[in-house]
Amino acid sequence: MNKLDTLWLTEAISLRERDTGPLEDGEANRHARQGGGDFSARWQARALWLARRDGLVDALGHWKQGARLGLIALAVLSVVSGAGMAVTALAGAPNPVNVFWATGSLLGLNLLLLAGWLLSLASSGNRAPWLGQLWLGLTQRLARDAKAAHLGSALISLLHRHRLNRWLLGATVNGLWTLCMLTALATLLLMFATRRYDFVWETTLLNSDTFIALTVALGKLPGWLGFPVPEAALIQASGNGPATLEGARQAWAGWLVGVLTCYGVLPRAVLAVACWLRWRHGRAGLQPDVDSPQAAALRERLMPSAEQLGATDLPAIPAWVPSVVTLTPSGSGAVMAGIELDSDLPWPPVTSTQVGDAGLLDDRTSRQRVLELLAAHPPQRLLLVCDPRRSPDRGTQALLAELSRSAGDTRVWLMPPPAGETLDPTRLQVWHNALEPLGLVHDTLFPAAWLEPEHA
Amino acid sequence: MPDVVKLAVVGHTNVGKTSLLRTLTRDVTFGEVSYNPGTTRHVEGARLSVQGQALMELYDTPGLEDAVALLEYLERLGGGQLKLDGPGRIDAFLNSAEARQRFEQEAKVVRQLSASDAGLYVIDAREPILAKYRDELQILASCGKPLLPVLNFVSAPTARREAWQEALARLGLHAQVAFDSVAPPEDGERRLYESLALLIERARPALERLISDIEQQVAQRQMAGRRLIADLLIDCAACRRTVATDTDQVEIDALRQVVRQREQACVSALLALFGFRPGDAEAGSLPLLDGRWGDDLFNPETLRQLGVKVGGGMAAGAAAGVGVDLMAGGLTLGLATLAGAIAGGALQTARGYGGRLLGKWRGEQVLSVDDAVLRLLALRQQALLVALARRGHAAQGSVHVPEQDPEQWREGRLPAVLKRTRAHPEWSTLNPAFRKRQAEREQALTALAADL
Repeated sequence: MNKLDTLWLTEAISLRERDTGPLEDGEANRHARQGGGDFSARWQARALWLARRDGLVDALGHWKQGARLGLIALAVLSVVSGAGMAVTALAGAPNPVNVFWATGSLLGLNLLLLAGWLLSLASSGNRAPWLGQLWLGLTQRLARDAKAAHLGSALISLLHRHRLNRWLLGATVNGLWTLCMLTALATLLLMFATRRYDFVWETTLLNSDTFIALTVALGKLPGWLGFPVPEAALIQASGNGPATLEGARQAWAGWLVGVLTCYGVLPRAVLAVACWLRWRHGRAGLQPDVDSPQAAALRERLMPSAEQLGATDLPAIPAWVPSVVTLTPSGSGAVMAGIELDSDLPWPPVTSTQVGDAGLLDDRTSRQRVLELLAAHPPQRLLLVCDPRRSPDRGTQALLAELSRSAGDTRVWLMPPPAGETLDPTRLQVWHNALEPLGLVHDTLFPAAWLEPEHA
Repeated sequence: MPDVVKLAVVGHTNVGKTSLLRTLTRDVTFGEVSYNPGTTRHVEGARLSVQGQALMELYDTPGLEDAVALLEYLERLGGGQLKLDGPGRIDAFLNSAEARQRFEQEAKVVRQLSASDAGLYVIDAREPILAKYRDELQILASCGKPLLPVLNFVSAPTARREAWQEALARLGLHAQVAFDSVAPPEDGERRLYESLALLIERARPALERLISDIEQQVAQRQMAGRRLIADLLIDCAACRRTVATDTDQVEIDALRQVVRQREQACVSALLALFGFRPGDAEAGSLPLLDGRWGDDLFNPETLRQLGVKVGGGMAAGAAAGVGVDLMAGGLTLGLATLAGAIAGGALQTARGYGGRLLGKWRGEQVLSVDDAVLRLLALRQQALLVALARRGHAAQGSVHVPEQDPEQWREGRLPAVLKRTRAHPEWSTLNPAFRKRQAEREQALTALAADL
């Protein structure tokens, strides 16, 4: 399987998936991943695997055979047309042959279509020449394989993306025309060799000088290649009927052969070779369309940039929970303490002579200080002030539990955020979940009545 | 593979460690993310590869929750008869009973960090710099691995970026990266990996490969996204319905519905392209489209197309005529060729134009999508493309595509390719006359994608 075939099948599989939805590709992807290489290589490996499975490789063989048969049919047609053209051009013998009619029927159609082909090449070059279309259509019919339906369009879309189809079809078309012109030339030579022709030119309107000039001009290029060019006197003489001058027939026949070679065979042959070279050159640079959305979708499956490795170190069951020991030491008075409060919150939140201020608890020393203080003078009511914008973690939970054990009654006040900030209600739920197992009463309103009952 | 960089993503609980991993792996299904603290309670890994070669392993760890108590415990472990250094204390801690009880979660974190090349210390930049965070950093530093602080949620209005940067610098952590996992900066990953390369010198080649691959993929996704949008625009521009002249609003509504569905398909494709869930964005409503009452018989493209077709028909007819000429041995003097060419051309004209002329004669009109709607679709999908490119895979809400400025889509210029598309009803998948795989449509699509 050469590079072109692989790319061709990759394109065909892509088209198929685009039309009929994704194919079942688990196994193909696995093979492609095992094969390694870069994304483009894996993509092609996947497509090749799918193509083998779905019989596209055989279809490709049929398609190519169809293409060859089509080309042979067209070649036969070219040969027949070429011979026919030559015969037609010299038809009517033993009457003298009108040289300009003969030239026109030998070159006219060829030059007309050549101009058309060049024009289409210059304008955009997207449209396949009709002979090329004929070839592709013929191929599709000769391949006689339903699976090959995608192959023709896959080739066109692949080549089109690299702007190569014009060169491939151009090489074919010009090649066929070269064959046609060569056959015409051969037929012409054969007929000149075996039959006698007289040459004349005729005009009703035009001046005979025009014809002389035209003949000389047309003969200049063949002249450089060594073809004979009729002399002015001979041309003049042929205008009045078959020239009787010595060598007139040979001169005209040589001129006709030269004109056919230079304006019929050579341009087509040069173009065919040029197109073929461009095609050969471009074929080396073919690659799949890695920028397409389809490729982007496949990339993650063929060459995952991130894979999950799964979970390890699973949590122990049951999970550790802070111990809730309900010791209720009898104390006196009320104390409040702030837990991990931010500096943008006011402290103390209320000033009262009745309520002791244990300060803010953040680092280890402040924690130790407050715990020692509470152990020495246990209060009856302890208000712990928390900021609900923070997340209650296990450390905070443990601290709250430890503090609550050193007071008669403990409540948690979830302090509202400073003005201008709003609190996400999910935060309150999170705190509720954290405080529930500790058995701590909490509120977002300052519990003034509870803290200072004698003032209420 | 010896050169896989192992990174542990560590930090306090509920700071977005799993979110960071989702964004770095572009995988919305990684782990579990919620507003509750302590969502992740195990270690979970992900591997980043380039061209099939594994380059980096990232491990999500549970949050540190009880750093103050743990640090105290570690100091007790290290302060006995044997003076232990940081890693020594960590080893002693991991062998202790508390590592399976009270500090179970913390033990997982330090175990994973000790087994990694470096740690990404994720910080919620909205949080004040509490003592427990300093204690956390002290514990993590004892593992003897380089730490790179990653400031998450820096785009929140309450973020205290400077305060954190200063506090980290005081702790000796001068290399730090701001990386919002919900709205990551465009070069966020590059800066993150470059900073890592400074910390782990031997990982530099792998990290550089990762960076270049990420950037290449970003470009490829952009291109693919543009092609999806171009596809949508071609489908809509070429869409047409032939309706009776006295048609009512029903036909227009039906057309609008079709266009809306097509846009939603494009939205879904874009979401899939960027690895988001199907429901993460919705196509907006379409403005009332008047329906463009088109009579594009004299659209330049229609005429050009006709010219090409007639030319082709003439060539084919001429070829047939040549056959007749040849068989007649030249007696017809090329008349058959001429006649063939004329017949071929006429046939193509009838084929190309006949249907439309017939419709016109019957009093039918062609309904197609308004220019303004096309412009709106283009602007909206491009805005979505930009939004998706900037969106982190940790984002939970759906994508918000801003409303487009009506001025912009009412006036603006329409790409020439789209005007050309108008004349090709066979290019639109929304039309029954759609023909699959046309090289010209592909080419228009490529041109339009480049133009967007």
